[in-house]
Amino acid sequence: MAPVLRSRVDTRSDQYAANRAALLAALADIDALYAQVTAGGGTADPDKNARTVARHRSRGKLLPRERIDLLLDRGAPFLELSPLAGWGTDDALGAGLVTGIGRVHGVECVISANDPTVKGGSQSPITVSKALRAMDIARVNRLPLVSLTESGGADLTKQVDVFNPGGASFKNLTRLSAAGIPTITLVFGSSTAGGAYVPGMSDYVVLQKDAARVYLGGPPLVKMAIDEDADEESLGGAEMHARTSGLADYLALDEPDALRIGRDIVAHLGWRKSGPGPTRAATPPVHDPEELLGIASADLRIPFEAREVLARVLDGSEFDEFKPLYGSTLVTGWGHVNGYPVGVLANNGILFSEEAHKGAQFIQLCNRMDVPILFLQNITGFMVGTRYEQGGIIKDGAKLINAVSNCGVPMITLMIGASYGAGNYGMAGRAYDPRFIFSWPNHRIAVMGPKQLAGVLTIVARQKAEAAGQEWDEEAFAPIRDAFEQQVESESTALFATGRLWDDGIIDPRDTRTVLTLALSAVHSAPVTGTDAFGVFRM
Amino acid sequence: MTLPPRRIHRLLVANRGEIAARVIRTARRMGIQTVAVCSDADTDAPYVALADRVVRLPGVSSAETYLDGAAVIAAARAAGADAIHPGYGFLSENPRFAREVIRHELTWVGPSPEAIESMALKVEAKRIAGAAGVPLAPGCELPESMIDAQLQFACSSVGYPLIIKASAGGGGKGMRVVERAEDLAEAVAAARREAASAFGDSTVFAERYVAGGRHVEVQVVGDAFGTVVHLFERECSIQRRHQKIIEEAPSPGVSPRVRGRLHEAAVALAQQIGYVGAGTVEFMVAGEGDQQEAFFLEMNTRLQVEHPVTEAITGLDLVELQLIVAQGERLPVLQGDIGLNGHAIEARLYAEDPANGYLPATGVIRRFQAPPGIRVDAGVMDGSVITSHYDPMLAKVIAHGSTRTVAAGTLADGLARMSLHAPPTNRDSLVATLRSDAFLSGETTTSFLDHHPEVLDPQPSAEDVDRHARAAARAVIEDERPDALVPPAWRNVPGQPPSVGLRRRGAADAEQVPVGVESVLARDPDGAVVVDVTVGGVMAHCTVARYGDEVFVDDGITSTVWQVEPRFPDHSADAAGHGAVTPVPGTVTAVLVRDGDRVSEGQALVVLEAMKMEHRVLAEAAGTVARVLVEVGQSVDAHALVVELDDDPSDSADA
Repeated sequence: MAPVLRSRVDTRSDQYAANRAALLAALADIDALYAQVTAGGGTADPDKNARTVARHRSRGKLLPRERIDLLLDRGAPFLELSPLAGWGTDDALGAGLVTGIGRVHGVECVISANDPTVKGGSQSPITVSKALRAMDIARVNRLPLVSLTESGGADLTKQVDVFNPGGASFKNLTRLSAAGIPTITLVFGSSTAGGAYVPGMSDYVVLQKDAARVYLGGPPLVKMAIDEDADEESLGGAEMHARTSGLADYLALDEPDALRIGRDIVAHLGWRKSGPGPTRAATPPVHDPEELLGIASADLRIPFEAREVLARVLDGSEFDEFKPLYGSTLVTGWGHVNGYPVGVLANNGILFSEEAHKGAQFIQLCNRMDVPILFLQNITGFMVGTRYEQGGIIKDGAKLINAVSNCGVPMITLMIGASYGAGNYGMAGRAYDPRFIFSWPNHRIAVMGPKQLAGVLTIVARQKAEAAGQEWDEEAFAPIRDAFEQQVESESTALFATGRLWDDGIIDPRDTRTVLTLALSAVHSAPVTGTDAFGVFRM
Repeated sequence: MTLPPRRIHRLLVANRGEIAARVIRTARRMGIQTVAVCSDADTDAPYVALADRVVRLPGVSSAETYLDGAAVIAAARAAGADAIHPGYGFLSENPRFAREVIRHELTWVGPSPEAIESMALKVEAKRIAGAAGVPLAPGCELPESMIDAQLQFACSSVGYPLIIKASAGGGGKGMRVVERAEDLAEAVAAARREAASAFGDSTVFAERYVAGGRHVEVQVVGDAFGTVVHLFERECSIQRRHQKIIEEAPSPGVSPRVRGRLHEAAVALAQQIGYVGAGTVEFMVAGEGDQQEAFFLEMNTRLQVEHPVTEAITGLDLVELQLIVAQGERLPVLQGDIGLNGHAIEARLYAEDPANGYLPATGVIRRFQAPPGIRVDAGVMDGSVITSHYDPMLAKVIAHGSTRTVAAGTLADGLARMSLHAPPTNRDSLVATLRSDAFLSGETTTSFLDHHPEVLDPQPSAEDVDRHARAAARAVIEDERPDALVPPAWRNVPGQPPSVGLRRRGAADAEQVPVGVESVLARDPDGAVVVDVTVGGVMAHCTVARYGDEVFVDDGITSTVWQVEPRFPDHSADAAGHGAVTPVPGTVTAVLVRDGDRVSEGQALVVLEAMKMEHRVLAEAAGTVARVLVEVGQSVDAHALVVELDDDPSDSADA
């Protein structure tokens, strides 16, 4: 048995109370946003949203999460991905699409469901990005994809930004199929024009009687194009596709019937996960995960101990630390999450050359062992300064980034604090294709900290002024600097990041083990295989 | 009459169910090897597993199997048995069978064929009893040759209400209470039909019906040396449809004067007919105190179903006494040795629905486990299947206590704490009876259930039902959720709590029961889920067992049964036709309509026999018979469509 981490957290300290209060407030804000997104409608006007949803229900239709609840096994968890996509943009919160991972007849599937109460289920650029991200997750983790489709197609007001990326979704569907990953589409309403290729490219198609409409061109377009008078049912009705065109494999009588058929299809797939399962029995941590709320710093200038987090995430709080005496600002070692073995890299301060060496070596070891890697990011960057540049911090940072970039075993990244600069890259940030990336609400992300960024801007401006022979007016520049700092601050928040799909969602720190368990279970649907093919490590 | 002692080495039990198991247990204790016989329907029965040797009797109906004397004797010879114990029912009071057993030089564990014969036909038995000075109730014989007018005349002398009984009958079969002369003809016809079917003898007779009387019976045992002892009396007044359901010893309601007279009369009657073995003399006791009087009903020349209460208060094993005297030995006890210790009560557990006209139930018993402290003589075990072929009694449950109140409390508690995961039973009704003030105050007359209909379908409190619903829903989620590593129905984006559609047994509608997070969960050693549910500040440990779509919840005080509703609509059900369906599985004995007949609402269409009882399939609405789908003699399942009905066009035009 690995050593059990000891905790030194003082749960009665002011710092603890302040962190906890700030995180609970942030979580309450997020819950309010969740309530808004689950209510449907998609606009800022709650009354209008309620009318839209009431009209939808009056047709006997379910909301997307209700459809998902019925599709899933009773009591199955559902890990919703990017629920707040679109936050802070002019797109609807949630982007009119619900994606996530849940079990259907015991089989973990990626589920992608349009929300027809949001702009008729039409697709904005963020909707497309969210859909593509869900498909990516299905592909790399080998999870069957179930689409619950009811969409008015592209949001025509944004067609310039949707046309090209939207096309990728049909390509991805057939590529999933080509990779042997089943694709199943249930159509509850419109799926027309380009949208018709969602059922068109799927392995299995279920159309709901008197509801599904699947055609390339509707009656007005057909009239315009070839001067034919055609009704909707003849062009794209469910019965027509079930009996005549053959696009529908199954005809469902109503929504629950469609979902039942969808469940039966998954049951008949005979799907088996290709990765290994947990290697030992799950045990809860010795230390209470509830305390994570008081540990995670709300003010990221105040560092917090990564091992205190691990003590509340890993099974039995057991952690087999690797190189504990070397490169102390990067904690590395092995543990388990609900029985799944993981290698852990966790920041405990700024990265120096030693930490980069240690991390690169540890990643190679995990690849030898075929063990997935968990990154806990709380990083303000690589060390700068003459001494470190001359000491080769670039070469060393490159080794870590090389190891992360070419890593063969699945990487899961958890943003538990700061994520600034190249530290983001060295710790498997979004651009480095971790299988999943989740954030705590206190997370901040940017090229560098807002204060530092504003300070750099000030220095550059002064140098420019002085070079031009102008007098530098520090006071006159102050409002510009403050405005910039505030802008960076607001663009660094967890909500800003999640709104742009920089992560797969913000999570309650207390749910960390649950989320990691679901993510680890999902990555084990694909083989877990390490690599020894890395780029040249510059020595 | 003395016979040379014949030691029994290997005993064939010509019976099934609990009594076969019970006889085998005593035989084993006495060092006697055992042989069971079983029909095709009983091959997996517990008594079969208990026996040393088993002989199958091909077929399913009683007539082809347990009533086939020749087959039973052949089985005994094949298995090397040297004695036959008939149990109760079946061949136990068949003098021809007893004679055949003796002719094949097998020991007959029972009274002589002559003694059986003398008591077999109730009409004849009444004459002998009268001669022995036993008091008789007024009555008359009703030979088949009587025309209606003669029936009416004969019965007018008996007076109404009267009761029609099968001369060859017992156990309530072939019995009909007739309140008015108008109903006489139909009741006699029905009683004859039932008697013919159950006993092969359609002779019936009429007797004054003592409403609200007490059924008191005296246990006697005689040996071949002329000794007859009584083992006190039992009272079996609480009956449904003339079938005993609660029996006790001693009687709580018979006066000391009458009690002594009954003991004496019973011994006198047994001595008069040279009775060897265990037998029971039954009386109807009317009135209270000094006004109390008793009439002879019949003598049962066999072991009674309810004999365990006598065993409990006397400490004697009646089967052991039967086997001792059958071997030609003297009774090991004399009257003076037999003491009466405390009070014992037996409840008969039936697979039937008291709230629904005692409709017999069939199906699988998933679990049958009793708590310690009570005697359970069971014919079933976990996994047993209840069919419509035989009596629906599952078990007898007996409690013994220092007083009647103690025994009733122990028995009620033991019944309530049983894990009885089965089709509908009368358990709750038994518990309610045993706990009722009326029962505890000794108000045990044959009209008990008529006067106390509230015990038929006792309902648990709303809080208990609520607790059980939540426990069931939580257990269903626990059972179905695919991933035990994370909390059930976990969501990172909060949504509706999951709910489970549950319909309580007997309820018309299902409810969506939300799954609470407050419940605490564990698993008991049998794999059932234990859910601690708090409602109204009170917590109960609910043990939830699920078998397919059926969920049983037990909390020690209350038990409920739930049907898990399908999550998705079954559209194939729309294809089923309209018409009349059978309430129970059974055999069609009469088809009363033909294609094209116009029928009115409530009109009888088909008559079934199931569990030895008649059931009429009625038209639920007026209409025209489109098609009759069954014929006489055909076996049908429960809920089978027997007659297709079209809506009456004229009726719908009016509406």
